[in-house]
Amino acid sequence: MQTVPASIMGHTLRRIVFFLLVLLTTLGAMALMVSVFQTDGLSPMELILLVLYAILFSWICVSFWTAFMGFFVILTGRDRWAISRQSGSAPDPAAPPPRAAILMPIYNEDSERVFAGLHAIHQSLADTGQLEGFDFFVLSDTRDPEVWVEEELRWQDMVRALDGKGRIFYRNRPENTSRKSGNLEDFCTRWGGHYRYMIVLDADSIMKGETLVEMVRIMERQPRVALLQTPPVPINRESLFARILQFAGSLYGRMFTAGLNYWQLGESNYWGHNAIIRIQPFLDHCGLPRLPGREPFGGDILSHDFVEAALLRRAGWEVWLAYDLEGSYEEIPPTLIDYAKRDRRWCQGNLQHLRLALASGWNGLSRLHFSMGVMSYLASPLWLLFLIATGVDAYFQTQQETVYFFGENWAPVWPVSFAVEMTTVLLVTLTMLFLPKGLALALLLKDSRLRRAYGGMVKATLSVVLETVFSVLTAPVLMLFQTKFVLAILMRRAVGWPPQQRGDHQTGFREAALTHGVQTLIGIVVGVLSYQYVPAFFWWFIPVLLGLALAIPVSMLSSSIALGRQARALGLFLTPEETAPPKVLGYLEDHLAESEPVLPVLRETPASRFVQALTDPYVNALHRSLLPPREPPGRRRRHYLEGLVHQLEEDGPESLSPAQKRDLIADPDLLLRLHALFWSRPPANAGMLP
Amino acid sequence: MDRGKVSAPAPYMTAPLVAPSSEQLLARLGAYWRALGVSDPDQVAALSQQALRRVAETPESPGPDPVARVILAAGDLLDDWLARALELPRSSRELAAARAALLSGAAPDWPAALFAPPGQADAVVNALRAAIAEPAPPVKPGSMPAQRIDLFDLLSPLRRLQRR
Repeated sequence: MQTVPASIMGHTLRRIVFFLLVLLTTLGAMALMVSVFQTDGLSPMELILLVLYAILFSWICVSFWTAFMGFFVILTGRDRWAISRQSGSAPDPAAPPPRAAILMPIYNEDSERVFAGLHAIHQSLADTGQLEGFDFFVLSDTRDPEVWVEEELRWQDMVRALDGKGRIFYRNRPENTSRKSGNLEDFCTRWGGHYRYMIVLDADSIMKGETLVEMVRIMERQPRVALLQTPPVPINRESLFARILQFAGSLYGRMFTAGLNYWQLGESNYWGHNAIIRIQPFLDHCGLPRLPGREPFGGDILSHDFVEAALLRRAGWEVWLAYDLEGSYEEIPPTLIDYAKRDRRWCQGNLQHLRLALASGWNGLSRLHFSMGVMSYLASPLWLLFLIATGVDAYFQTQQETVYFFGENWAPVWPVSFAVEMTTVLLVTLTMLFLPKGLALALLLKDSRLRRAYGGMVKATLSVVLETVFSVLTAPVLMLFQTKFVLAILMRRAVGWPPQQRGDHQTGFREAALTHGVQTLIGIVVGVLSYQYVPAFFWWFIPVLLGLALAIPVSMLSSSIALGRQARALGLFLTPEETAPPKVLGYLEDHLAESEPVLPVLRETPASRFVQALTDPYVNALHRSLLPPREPPGRRRRHYLEGLVHQLEEDGPESLSPAQKRDLIADPDLLLRLHALFWSRPPANAGMLP
Repeated sequence: MDRGKVSAPAPYMTAPLVAPSSEQLLARLGAYWRALGVSDPDQVAALSQQALRRVAETPESPGPDPVARVILAAGDLLDDWLARALELPRSSRELAAARAALLSGAAPDWPAALFAPPGQADAVVNALRAAIAEPAPPVKPGSMPAQRIDLFDLLSPLRRLQRR
């Protein structure tokens, strides 16, 4: 008789325990709700409330039990199935040493920050003495011509500074087909064959050299693993909003990721960056099709990461979350508004998963990952519906006149009160929401080093309390934002926002009023109405109403860098990365603060890099050398380009759109011609002639 | 005031020199050579003369104005030298990369190398070879076939029945 491997037994047992706990807790809460509703039969409104509550409560339950499992794992320090602790097999000594490509896909990002980050990672990797096993690729999908030229110069500067020729590469795609997934596919199909692994970063990712080396080591030991995700810790922002999020991400995040690994094990998910991927299975199984139909559910797969993880799982490969690997960082949006903008970008991709979750052939947990992706955005409109339904139900309750004497009863029949049950439901829900914060705090009691890193127990506790207040205030705002995004996507309407700003900056009154004005109005109107017609409901509703009514000042104040710094000086919202920054973050800071570029052309900041690509002989030659070979333009295209040249001659570069500028500098012959044109007829203010 | 006149903003670029004098051409070429990094006036003069000769030897073509033609000729002179010294094909991306390396400051003595006899500019050539940008490794093609994802369709069981 075949014996079942211990790992399969252990994995199955963990999942049974986890899902049983989720199921039983949900059923318990539902039973309480039903006992309240069922006395006089279920009204349609109560049925709606019950269904909504079941969905939302099970969603909270998954999160709560994940956190609880994480708490348990970290508290006991025992996790025999953590991928980093599994012995695995010894790598084949005859096999060539593994080579890994570190990929940074970028799209119109701040080039200085991108290359400073890569420089820091390079330096940290050099500290390990293992640099020769890694190559760097900047995979640019940038469309903005100004940023494009800047990127080329920064790349060349980095190559010169680090003697990185043949190790640090750059390319800009002529067309950004299929966005980020197409960008990575382009790398895989052209250069992937040179490498066994790729480590995918985001534009604001930072990773320690030791972590990168360890990731490769784990992959070498575990040949069944196709993808290893590290948990990126948020860092480096100074605004109050970002520091609160950094604190929460750092303190609670480690518990949640440990918990995720507890039940997901080798069927984990891919978060799109700070992960290592075995290239061959990725090539074999992760080519993404276009989904049939129109957007938002059809077209390119936007949140490609979840789908790629599911495809790898479908092909029998393992996908792990290395929750205990430290040294993986990312930067987060600095303000509430930027955070919402990022949500807007992610929302459509996640809603697409609604369709994918039901596709055939997926592994069970992959379906759950898809559903969790959907729920992370759908939960908001559902909460809103739940609140509205509760309000409406409460209103109708107040309209009912209580009758004390009826039928054959000689004594008054008092209405049955369900205050105890309802309070229990509310308390259970609040406990599920907030207890994980307490558990994360309790874990600090176990580790004095970590306790100090978070500023000591008192400061950490105060930070948790303040973070909780802040999250209560911002939750209704985010709920309305996400509801708006979901509705806009379903109605195929653009929300119309400028691109997200990644660097620290503050929200002014105008921006805050324009963004949060309607939310504030909703908060005030609903507050007045509920106070007028359902006063009992009003008091329960206060946290939501307050969050909405104060959206403008909260958004403005939380974007303040001064308040963020002041909180830091007071020892609030401290993270280990702030109290004792790892070397790699120090390298990043140094490069951003005081690095002198090797290329003289980078030491000056011209008004336009686009114009510089036309006028400066070096920038022009470098840009031309990086353009991919292309067919000579057809007649129509030639006429179009000639028109642009005339427009440039007459009206100057300001009259051209970024796309038109890009067209002009994307053609090598035209670029050379324009260079000569600028030197023969230099614009009056270009300073080209003495 | 003449109300019949409409004032138009001046064009961004200066008007082309239709029939520039040789002094005007030399002045423009001089400025261009200096922008390329040639500071010795004798070298500037010699290179400018070479560029002018080159233009005179090539048949006139419609398109660039006379000044643009001498500027292009100056660039061609550099490319000729680079192609010879580094054994690169003409009109290639490699040649543009070599020109970028030359102008990047990797070999500060390059203007003298242009006048050096063959074989006497090895230091500059080696410095250039080391400085030529390599944006990507050689392509090693792999295929990434699009995977099949069978989306849920309410009508698919009916279709299956119909097929049977």
